[in-house]
Amino acid sequence: MNAISAVVYREAKIRATNFTFIFWDLFFPLLYMLVFGVGINTAIGAPTGLGNVNYNEFFLAGILAMASFAIASNTSWSFFLDRDNGIFYEMLTYPMSRSEYLLGKVIFNVLISIGQAALTLVVGRLVLGIRVQWAKLPLLLTAMAIGTAGWFFFYAIFALRIRRNDLFNSITSVFYFVFMFASSMFYPLEPLPAWFRITALLNPITWEIDWLRYTSIGIGNFHSILLEGVAFLVFALACFAYAVRCLQQQE
Amino acid sequence: MSEFALEVENLVKVYASRGKPPIRAVDGMSFRVPRGIIFGLLGPNGAGKSTLLRMLSTLTLPTDGTAKILGYDVVKKPIEVRKRISSVIQATAVELFLSVKDNLLTYARFQGLDKATAARRADALIVEFQLGPEVDRKVQDLSGGFRRRVQVAKVFMVDTPVLFLDEFSTGMDPILKRQVMNLLRAEVEKGRTIILTTQVLSEAEDLCDDILIIDRGKQIARGDLNTLKLLSHGVYEINLAFDHLPENIQAEIAALSPIRSTIEANAIDLTLKIEEDRVMDVVSALSRNRHVLRVEVRGASLEDIFVELTTREGKELA
Repeated sequence: MNAISAVVYREAKIRATNFTFIFWDLFFPLLYMLVFGVGINTAIGAPTGLGNVNYNEFFLAGILAMASFAIASNTSWSFFLDRDNGIFYEMLTYPMSRSEYLLGKVIFNVLISIGQAALTLVVGRLVLGIRVQWAKLPLLLTAMAIGTAGWFFFYAIFALRIRRNDLFNSITSVFYFVFMFASSMFYPLEPLPAWFRITALLNPITWEIDWLRYTSIGIGNFHSILLEGVAFLVFALACFAYAVRCLQQQE
Repeated sequence: MSEFALEVENLVKVYASRGKPPIRAVDGMSFRVPRGIIFGLLGPNGAGKSTLLRMLSTLTLPTDGTAKILGYDVVKKPIEVRKRISSVIQATAVELFLSVKDNLLTYARFQGLDKATAARRADALIVEFQLGPEVDRKVQDLSGGFRRRVQVAKVFMVDTPVLFLDEFSTGMDPILKRQVMNLLRAEVEKGRTIILTTQVLSEAEDLCDDILIIDRGKQIARGDLNTLKLLSHGVYEINLAFDHLPENIQAEIAALSPIRSTIEANAIDLTLKIEEDRVMDVVSALSRNRHVLRVEVRGASLEDIFVELTTREGKELA
């Protein structure tokens, strides 16, 4: 337990004393909501087929998922920084197991993403008047926690297996584009062409977004949401198992 | 608990990469290191020193053989081993985004030190390593030398019984290096065991109680400085300074087939393996009809021994 708390302490120290990290972790998704979201909301109003839900409300779950995705990506990139200056290897000789190291990192990520979600919900309610279903808040925060953990483990696999920073950056740029746009983050899937809809339904970020949308503004069918939630959990666990294996192979 | 700080038995590390022949970075090493000494691992680049240290510090798994730290197997009980070691690895392993003080405190946290002790030790080390003016600066804004100070200072935050230092003095100025060497000696007096690698042989000569010379993953020689000097019996260092450098001196030196030689300004420095009674013949031959300002003849230094042993044919001694 001491080892995990030490990893969390280290991550917190690094992130809390660096303005760039604070901006990317906490405020960037918020700016997306306030600039992009408000712009689209003003231009098109309510997305098709979702009743009286306006775009700001629809986009809220997308913003939350984007935050969990971005926080995970930023943290996994830190593997490169740590590896380049050698501290990564030194840490692997500290009195902790490699799983504890990974768990410490993911716990910190989850805490950040929950903080970010709280900030987004409050700003969304106070500034944009989003009607948040507060009763489902525990479920929403659970979705944020599992979502962030899943994406962190997913990214960690690539960060640990790839040796070159530029290659990793290229891959994450492609991931950003594919995962975010081929999903229900920015638009409802129903009016989209069949091939696009199927691709989006196979995308784990869609599962996370649908879960977040159901728990934040109540849109979606509980049974399909449950199925997507379980699918995401399996995805996260598989990524965790493989990420631990990749970490064991580091030497 | 084991009476040895380190027990290594037939340790092997093979690196295999697709399409290339496997590399035996460590090739069947066996040795034991008693507690409370400074043990030096010496060898040229690529000898296997760092790989050996990485296995001993649980960073890399051995391909074969066993290694134990204070009786704990590095493969079977890695956490127990990690609780008992601290390492300075070759790269400047520091937390770039943290301040100097936070680097020390974060390290202490990982090692399970309580807050008050950590703060007290950090303050003392900041003075000791002359890091005072930089204490609140992020390490990413410091020079390489200062980063190294922070890295080395960290291992003095804790009392782990075994300390691994991989070329610890890289980037340190001579005064600080001397201070750190004194600190290391003080730690050994307290009972810690220090395993260090270095390519600065004078450093090993000054510090190490016991030395293992390795090359191409194998042990070449083992012992304290005096024992190693015996292994290198018949090696002499001759230093001559002339009023001006003789024209054909290079050819004359080459004809003697020295182990190593350097010519600098008007002085020559050569290491020869010859019979004792021939040493003065060589000196007089090189001095004949020349104005010699200084003559020095010494027995082998660690550097001579090292060069002689790592270039010798059929390197299986130990």
